[in-house]
Amino acid sequence: MMKMSNLMIVAAALAVASPALAADPIVESALSSGTVGEQWDGYMGFVSAPSGDLKAAVDAINIKRRAGYTQIAAARNVTVDQFAQTTACSTLRSVKSGQAYKLKDGGWRKRNGSESITPDYCG
Amino acid sequence: MNKMVLMIAIMMLPGCINVSAPDKPIEINLNVNVKQEVVVRLQKDADDFIANNPELFPQ
Repeated sequence: MMKMSNLMIVAAALAVASPALAADPIVESALSSGTVGEQWDGYMGFVSAPSGDLKAAVDAINIKRRAGYTQIAAARNVTVDQFAQTTACSTLRSVKSGQAYKLKDGGWRKRNGSESITPDYCG
Repeated sequence: MNKMVLMIAIMMLPGCINVSAPDKPIEINLNVNVKQEVVVRLQKDADDFIANNPELFPQ
């Protein structure tokens, strides 16, 4: 029998996944153009004021991320922020050259290649 | 005698009950960075979460 905490993590993984598993093209387009970007806190942010559709799409993503973070953090006995920041270590590593990202200490930056952009605690 | 002590104790109870709000605000630490050893411990779960929810992590 699986440990309860592992069961909860599997549940979080399945529960958060929406029926349409493809990423929203409006968000992907905004990522490419640098109008939205990944943040150190585990959420996507707006580099410039978004259209209504884009804001709705990004807000929906962030809400679902937080739901997953919350569930897994509880199972692992850490705070939501600790798990969100850990996830951000991976999302920041995946930021493509030319895309925008934001760390805690500054404003929006653009990745210029494959230089390291993750905070020290990411290892 | 014991009743007396009990009565006095009960009469002193209102002094023990504090219904006012604490003067320090409740601290929610949104500005504390996660520590590296915590990241190491959570990394696999984080990567699994990303892999299992690709629509939440568009590229």
